Amino acid sequence: MRLVTLATTLAAAAAIGLGATYFAVTHSRGMDIVRLGAWQGWPRSGTTQADPYAVAAFARTGELPLELADGLLFLADSDSAGAPLDGRCDIRISGPLPQSRLWTLTLTDDKGALVPNEAERHGFTSAELVYEPDGSINVHLSPRARAGNWLPTGARGRLRVALRLYDAPFSFASGAQDDGQLPRIVTERCP
Amino acid sequence: MTFASLFRRSRPAYRSTARAPGPVERLAAIFQAVPAAPRLLLLPLAMVLVLAGIVHLVSVLAMPRLAQASAYQRLVPLAPVNTLVLLPDRGETVLPMTDPAFVSAVCRYDLRERPLKVRVPQTGDYTSVSFYTNRGLAFYALNDQAAGRVIELDLLSQAQRAALPEDEEITAADRLVVESPTTTGIVLIRAFARYGDVRDAVRKQLEAASCAATQ
Repeated sequence: MRLVTLATTLAAAAAIGLGATYFAVTHSRGMDIVRLGAWQGWPRSGTTQADPYAVAAFARTGELPLELADGLLFLADSDSAGAPLDGRCDIRISGPLPQSRLWTLTLTDDKGALVPNEAERHGFTSAELVYEPDGSINVHLSPRARAGNWLPTGARGRLRVALRLYDAPFSFASGAQDDGQLPRIVTERCP
Repeated sequence: MTFASLFRRSRPAYRSTARAPGPVERLAAIFQAVPAAPRLLLLPLAMVLVLAGIVHLVSVLAMPRLAQASAYQRLVPLAPVNTLVLLPDRGETVLPMTDPAFVSAVCRYDLRERPLKVRVPQTGDYTSVSFYTNRGLAFYALNDQAAGRVIELDLLSQAQRAALPEDEEITAADRLVVESPTTTGIVLIRAFARYGDVRDAVRKQLEAASCAATQ
């Protein structure tokens, strides 16, 4: 009886512990999360001070995180109102961008893979985009072709947008400023 | 009733109510309140939680060591040691979450015998070199603007850095020396392709980059 209790205890502990680890490495990219509106960044994950959760998550996926001295990555899985990004909807990303030498905006599915499309359009770089008169950006994500800066979503269910700022000032990474620093993401119309 | 008598009488009462039960007694009271059968479960339950915490911490810390598809392992069949290899442009991605606007090249290094020399030519646009340990920890990065024109640096292991003569360090002040915390790791060289049609040209320029053991 004693042995059975011990075995059950150990099995339950192993299951809960490993389950928590699996959940942590599949759902997080580290503890030092910076939230700016709909965007999430992990500035320390690309430094030697990366926390064990970030290191474990990257070891599992095989991703090489962006070095902080190189650039900063921000991801958005949901719009500014908190609703998940749906590829069947018309989504607008608009607003000013922080200072950086260059930036890229990339559309992926929720696994991080590029959304396949005939136009081979997966994102915009700071050099390609047509800016608004005040220097802010205005990008449309939609399954149907749109005028202006349009990215095809391929009518995928869940989307993720990656914004990478290269050679950006470090102070920005601390997240001390209020949001509004990064563009707003608004779901405009859903079928 | 005098004020003194009031004070005297109230004092013992005050004492008895103020003596709040300590945390141990409170816990014991809770324990007593639980019926006998579930009480037997409390200890195993606490043990499960403590052990689960230990298992969780150990497995998170061991993950970089045990992972089967880490960046370093993905590059083993693709890139020979101390050789620069350009990552395929389209089709399957070798490393997840790489920026598609960049042309990337990798070099899997091994410093056991000699230090590594990394040289990246100017591509006319943003170019950067980042260094990762074999566990995928980023420890250094440099871009073309910070480096001047051409990125040129030496990667040394801790032992090689310690063996570097003092005076040589001074004479080679213009030479960039980077110390690697591990003897093996990855150098990632990335060049920005401003427009889709300059991609092939940038790729050609990046082919001139080199990553080789010093003589």
